[in-house]
Amino acid sequence: MTNLKKFTRRNFISTMTAAPVVASITASNHEHETPPDNKPEIIDTNVNLFKWPFRRMKYEDTKSFSAKLRQHRITKAWAGSFEAVFSKSLNEVNSRLAEECRKSDKGMFVPIGAVNIAWPDWEEDLRRCHEVHKMPGIRIYPAYQSYDLTHEDFPKLVNLATERSMMVQIVGTLEDTRVQHPIVASREITFEPIPDIMKKNPRARVQLLGWNDYVNDELLKKFVTETKATFDISWVESTGGLGRLIDGNSWFGVRTPVPVERILFGSYAPYFPLESAVMKLFESPLTLEQMKSVMNINANNFFKQVV
Amino acid sequence: MNWQEFALNPADYGIPNQQQLQELRIWSDHYHGFWNLRGLFPPLKQHEEMMKYVKRMGIEKVISLDIGGDDDTEALKPTPIEKEEREILENNKDHILGIMRVDAEFPEESCAKMEKWIRNGPCIGIKFLLQKNGYKCSHPNADKIVRLAEELGAAIYVHTFLKAGGNPKSINGGNSPGEATPMDVTMLAKRFPNVPMICGHSGGDWELGARAVRPYENVLFEFAGSWPHSGSVDYAVNELGADRIVWGDHGPSRSFSTELSKVLDASISKSDRMKILGENYRRTWAKMFKSKNIPA
Repeated sequence: MTNLKKFTRRNFISTMTAAPVVASITASNHEHETPPDNKPEIIDTNVNLFKWPFRRMKYEDTKSFSAKLRQHRITKAWAGSFEAVFSKSLNEVNSRLAEECRKSDKGMFVPIGAVNIAWPDWEEDLRRCHEVHKMPGIRIYPAYQSYDLTHEDFPKLVNLATERSMMVQIVGTLEDTRVQHPIVASREITFEPIPDIMKKNPRARVQLLGWNDYVNDELLKKFVTETKATFDISWVESTGGLGRLIDGNSWFGVRTPVPVERILFGSYAPYFPLESAVMKLFESPLTLEQMKSVMNINANNFFKQVV
Repeated sequence: MNWQEFALNPADYGIPNQQQLQELRIWSDHYHGFWNLRGLFPPLKQHEEMMKYVKRMGIEKVISLDIGGDDDTEALKPTPIEKEEREILENNKDHILGIMRVDAEFPEESCAKMEKWIRNGPCIGIKFLLQKNGYKCSHPNADKIVRLAEELGAAIYVHTFLKAGGNPKSINGGNSPGEATPMDVTMLAKRFPNVPMICGHSGGDWELGARAVRPYENVLFEFAGSWPHSGSVDYAVNELGADRIVWGDHGPSRSFSTELSKVLDASISKSDRMKILGENYRRTWAKMFKSKNIPA
């Protein structure tokens, strides 16, 4: 396939037709930060559609998943595709994701495409995510896509995505390696290269998903003080873990406090029960302002920086 | 900071509020408030801090697994806070109970510890954890311990996990030495068919764990101390029945959110939810609670 339009800075500018679509998503979110009933809605920055290959998900059907999200007052969900983790035909996966988001529960799902820099011509997948599927961001899964973040193309991916004003969601943990199917051998990776790459590109908008096992306190300090990276809460663990993350008082010792403005709601549903992430908002005695920040304000702000 | 106040109503977000949680009469069979994490707090202070969350989350009672010693591989190693633990258990039966660790390598010493902490003390049961020389609950040495537990009517908890690993990779090739699997529990359960016992952590891998314990009616299946998987409790209820499932919070290393979400996610009746969240434990060891004047 050589006749597909390749991305250049010039045609990037000419293809900013994605912007109005994205802008409408943001505006919609903004309107609902605090609705008239004073019950803020939630933006979920970490969900996946379609099938997980090793087990049927209870809410893998998009319609039932959408209803479940609404049951928990989640009105917007940034959706990746489980198929992206294992499929080599990423454009097909991204097309299906975009189409599913478009036709399902209008306005609920924001498609987040997948790119695998370990595979040839990944730049074309990025271009299609932006120009064809009008996606505001991409999600990468290095532990499963089988490359380290020291890969020479990783900085290029961040730069190209940033030039297109797309967010980059970097996924750490997808499942507890202790209970993986024995046939799976996900790669041991490190997030250490990310801060330096972000420092070289201050406009880069990076969100870490399922990050906790990959970020020790030293690295967390770098992320917090030297970058604008944001964090989801899906794998934030321990009693009162969210409040303690904000306060820097982990049960395991003093840690770098993560400013609440950098924390975005993310459930990792339907793999995890939605109740897990929602309940984290209430388990810690957070203030209303802190709750609203995590529920939607931070996601909206992050999104606005992207578009 | 008021620990009893909520800035928003959880019920507006599809989860139970504090009163609704209290109405479920939740007993956690897996509380690690006294476990020395060598972290922010010493164990007694940590327990004090933990109880703020226990109350906030509407939990009626927690059962500590670390009484009289919290060493992971040396169950009989005493704790320096034994006196304080004993006082806490004796004076706070309305919201905290305790079980103590045993070691299948040392059945005599384990039984002596049971006499001290259960027959003549405040504890209500025993726990098999890891064992550095590989003596698991399935070892014949455990029989003496289990016989005494049966006589005392004591709860029996077994830490189990299936950790994938090894080369070639297998479902339990990553287990620590002396770390039991659900299959070890079933070996013990087969020898003592009338003695109820808990297969902890749902075997780590709940899909395989439930299969392993399915034929053994005296084995209860515990959801605690693992990542929450949507549909897991539905699966266990279908395979084992709601009467065979118990629940724990595993705090402070785990959250109430993680652990409760497993049960709240399940498409089951309120009655079955209550069974899992406490009623099954209360029913199974009712005689023990009665004998020790423990409100149940």
